[in-house]
This record gives sequence, structure tokens and C-alpha cells, in this order.
Amino acid sequence: MEEKSYSRDYRDLIAGGLLFLIGGSVGYYCLTTLALGSVQRMGPGLFPGALGVVLAVMGLGILIPALFRAGTAVEDIEWRSGIFVLGSVAAFAATVRPFGIIPAIVALAVVAQLAEPRIRPRAMVGLCIVLPLMAWLIFKVALGLQIPMFRWGF
Amino acid sequence: MIDNVFDALTLGLATAFTLENLLFCLLGVVLGTLIGVIPGVGALAAISMLFPVTFYLEPTPALIMLAGIWYGTSYGGSTASILLNIPGTPANAVACLDGYPMARQGRGGVALFMTTAGSFVGGTFGIILMMLFAPLIAKYALSFGPAEYFALMVLGLVSASTISSGSAIKGLAMVVLGIIVGSVGLDLYTGAPRMTMGLIELSDGVGLVSLAMGLFGVGEIITSVRHVVAGTIDRESVRLRAMIPSREDVRASTMPVVRGTLIGSFLGTLPGVGSSIASFMSYAVEKRVSKDPSRFGKGAIEGVVSPEAANNAADQTAFIPTLALGIPGSATMALMMGALIIHGINPGPALMTEQPSLFWGLVMSFWIGNVLLVILNIPMIGLWVRLLLIPYHLLYPAVLMFICLGVYTVNYSEFDVWMVLIFGLIGYGARLLELPVPPMLLGFVLGPLLEEQFRRAMLISRGDFTVFVSRPISSIILALTAMLLLYSVWLAFRSMRHRNEAEPA
Repeated sequence: MEEKSYSRDYRDLIAGGLLFLIGGSVGYYCLTTLALGSVQRMGPGLFPGALGVVLAVMGLGILIPALFRAGTAVEDIEWRSGIFVLGSVAAFAATVRPFGIIPAIVALAVVAQLAEPRIRPRAMVGLCIVLPLMAWLIFKVALGLQIPMFRWGF
Repeated sequence: MIDNVFDALTLGLATAFTLENLLFCLLGVVLGTLIGVIPGVGALAAISMLFPVTFYLEPTPALIMLAGIWYGTSYGGSTASILLNIPGTPANAVACLDGYPMARQGRGGVALFMTTAGSFVGGTFGIILMMLFAPLIAKYALSFGPAEYFALMVLGLVSASTISSGSAIKGLAMVVLGIIVGSVGLDLYTGAPRMTMGLIELSDGVGLVSLAMGLFGVGEIITSVRHVVAGTIDRESVRLRAMIPSREDVRASTMPVVRGTLIGSFLGTLPGVGSSIASFMSYAVEKRVSKDPSRFGKGAIEGVVSPEAANNAADQTAFIPTLALGIPGSATMALMMGALIIHGINPGPALMTEQPSLFWGLVMSFWIGNVLLVILNIPMIGLWVRLLLIPYHLLYPAVLMFICLGVYTVNYSEFDVWMVLIFGLIGYGARLLELPVPPMLLGFVLGPLLEEQFRRAMLISRGDFTVFVSRPISSIILALTAMLLLYSVWLAFRSMRHRNEAEPA
């Protein structure tokens, strides 16, 4: 497949722009809302604030040269695996407190499997059995952690 | 008081060779290797998970076991880095850069053999240093003031960001981003919340485990799901016969192992530097001294063995400040200190004289542990590889589970798991934009220490910036840093001119 090329380096343009925005907002926030103190007795805002400014400058340093050079296309975003891999972490985080470890792992396993280009029902069932078993053996039996495997209600 | 090294050795061996201590040493290194091999569970998570167990043990076996996990993960972690391109622990991230390409070329077995050998050399040298020079190095590090520490950390960060095969400015920007993320939380001096967005969970700062697991673990899985085809590990390459390195490999690895060992041993003793930065630094050094730096990232053996020798040497020498001065260099070392304090032992300069059997027994157990690790990692490598041979579509949900459970059990907080999600997103985004991620982790770890030393230096010098240049050691280090920066600027300009010539716009 031939790499698509553009008249500008959009990858670095976006990267530099994002870093500029992050640095700028951190710098603005720290320098305006946190106490700065003096150089001798630095307040909480001075160090991160100064770094925010440095990051913003570096962001510009990445962005500006990118305006004047050709670049290649940003690789395709893996929407499907991105959404479901992150979704599986979210599923775990959302269910672990109300329901306990084992339901959270089952939720994680099911959502994570959806990231695959094709669904494998057997693998999914297998994972839903093996993963909780593994977690139980390692974390409960071997390590003896005091975490509820199941929990009902909130 | 023990004046004689031989008395000390006898005492140490007698302590380490009791059945109980041997057993806990074995248990520690086996667990360490297992945890290291399984990506997404780092030494920090493992040690914190096993920390409660040590309440029921005597201090010596407790510390021997925790230490075994600690240096065992470095051995096991390189296995996952090389074969799967997923760092078992953050300190093994560098081993991915050239280890994985080697595995792709069917030389994974050689890479594993040489890293184990390099690790053993590094570890052994670290132990010797610890035995002979513990008091000396401790005294040396004591003479460092905040200005020196600050200068050293800056040098480490700057040199680490030149690792990124892309542009140096992107690496530096990611370091700065990491430091900013590291400064989230309550301010050390005033207790004022910084950038916590009103979240109580963030007042202790962003969790290292969440950050590392999100950036490296989750971010990597997203790109790998579709690209990693099942069974990409070449089974043949990890047969014992395929692991034997050629004479060429040994020759190419000898000097890098020596350099890595030296770099790692030195950096390991400095609080806050530790094995991650040691491996990054030695990689940078190898790339710089190499006749053909373009081979790096494509399976250069010196890019694998040198960082691994360095991080194992650093793992051992990291105990020097912790045990000799009572200054833990890292979160893991702080946990080790915690285990001592719970048993009523005060880590500090008095430890060696008051608890000689603990100190020397521990040192000797390191040696036994390193020998055990060689056995675990060379003849028994097949066992660990089988763990990795599971097809990826079965492996990544398991890795995600270990990430989530590992992160969750550090504080029993689901907030930490949400943070993994955020850093997974950042890690994936950075990958798309070709922003290097390891410098961010480094900035994150060193950021708080950097700020603390800087503020302390300013307090002592009454706000006079010349303190960094008027003290000889710090001025030399900063001069080196400036040279490194100028060099990368020069490189950037050269490549820009080169590109413009190649493609006249």
C-alpha cells in the first residue's frame, strides 16, 4: 500500500498543537490560580507553571516546522479495538465495587473479546471460565488477598 | 562490629544458607520471574500485594523474599519484552526496542540467553560493589547536595529523551509532560492541591502503576489486537540449542554488558534514578558509541544486553542507599524499608553494625537468587515461554485482567483503574502521533524529586541560580547536559537540511 502524502506534516501539526494546548492551559492555570511564592521560597504553582510554559513553547517548536514540510498520513485509528479494549477496562472499573472481582472479570473478558475482528464464541466462554478461576487461584488462594470475589447489592 | 570482609562473608553465607532463607529466596525469584513474564504486573504491584505476607515472617526471610521478587522481575520482564514487545516491567521497556526485532528475526532465543547472561554479570557486579563499597559509596552520595541531585536528574532526563528514534524535541516535550503529570497532587511544602481538579483521589498524585500500565500495557494492546497474529513466537528459537549464541554474538555483547553494568551500578546507587533510567541511559550510550546507530531498533544485540545488564546491576546497587543511609531510591525500595521498620529495625548507617546478619545474609541471598534466576531463565525458559505461547486473542484479555486486578489491588480503588483507561488513551494517542512514551514515564517518576531538589537548592542558596554552576560536580554535569542538547539540536538541523535537499518543496 502506498503511503499517502500531504503538503503539510499533519501528524506533527496535531502533536505540536495538542502539546501547546496542554502546556498552555497548565501554565495558565498554575500561574494564575496557585501561589507562586518567590524563587527562594517557591510556591506550589511556580514549578509546574514554568513547565507548562516550557511545554507550550516546545509544542510550538514541533508545530511550526511541520507547517513547512510535507508529511505522511497518520495511520488509521483502530476504532474498534480502541473502544473495546478501553471499554473492557471501564467495564471492570464500573463493576468491581458493586459486584466484586469475579463479575468484573467476566465483564472485562466479554467486552475485551469484542475488540477482535471476529467474535469467537468458544474463546469467549473459555475466557469467562478460566480468567476468574485464575484470578481466584492467584489472588485469593496463593496471595490470600482480602478482596470480595462476589458482592451483591451496592 | 565486623571489620573483616571474610567474617562478614561467613556470617552472610551462614545466614543465607539456612533452609528457611533458601526457600524464601527461591519463592521470591520464582514469583518475580512469573510476575515479570506476565506483562502488566510490575514489581511494584507484586511487592505491594505480597507486603502483608511479610508481617508473619522474620525480617531476614521477609526481606530476602521481597528482594527476590524485585530483581527476579527484571530477569522475567525481559522475556516478555523480547518475545511480545510488551515490557514486563517499566525497567524492561528498553529491551523491547531491539529485543522484539531480534525475536522477529528468529533470534529471540539468543536474545534471551544473552540478556540472562548479561543480567547475571550485571547483578553479580552490583553485589560485589555493594559488599565492598557500600560504606564508601554511601559517604560519596552523602556529599551530594540538592544542586548535584538536580543536575544529575536533568542529565538523566535529557539523555533519556534522545533515545526516541524520532526528534529530540518530541522526547523532551514528553519528559516535560511527564513531569507535569508527576506534579499533580498535594504540594510537598505547602500542602496545597495542584491540578487535582477537585478530586480527592488525586491528592496523593497520579499512581505510578496506573500510569505505567495504561501507557505501556493498554496502549500497546490496542495496536496489537489486529496486528499480532497468533503464534508469532518462534517456538524453535527458544529451544536450548537455538539459544546458544554464536561467537559473534558473544563478542558483540561483551563490551555493551560491561558498559551497561558500570552505568547501572553507578546510577542504581543514586536515589530516584534506579533501574529504569539506568536501562534508558545505557541504551542511549550504546547508540552513541555504535559505529552504525541505524541498526538500533532493528535488532541490535547490544541494545538488548546493555540495558538489561544495567537494570540488574542497578537493582542490586539500589539497596546501597536504602540499607546504608535509609534513603529509599524508589517506591519499591520504600516498601523494603517499610518491611524493616515494621519489624522494629531502623534502616540507616547503624544497620550494618547492629544487624550484621541481616545485611550480609541479604547480600549473600542476592547471589543465590541470581544463580537460581539463571537456572530459571535458561534451562527452564520453555516453561515461561509456554505462558507467552497462548494465542494473542486469549492472552490480551488475560493481560487486561492482570492489569486491572494489579492496579486495583494496590489501593483497592477503582479510581486507579479509571486512570489506567485515561493513560491507555494517552498512550494510544501518543503512538498515533509518533510521540515517544517512555520519556513521559521517566519524567513522571523523576519529576517530584526534581522539583524537590530544585526547591531545596533554591532555599539553601537564597534564590541564587548560580548554585548550580558554582558547585563543581553539578556544573560539570550540567555542562554535559548542555553539550548533549546542543548535539541533538545540531543533529536536528542536519536532518532538516538533508530532508529539504531530498525533497525540494
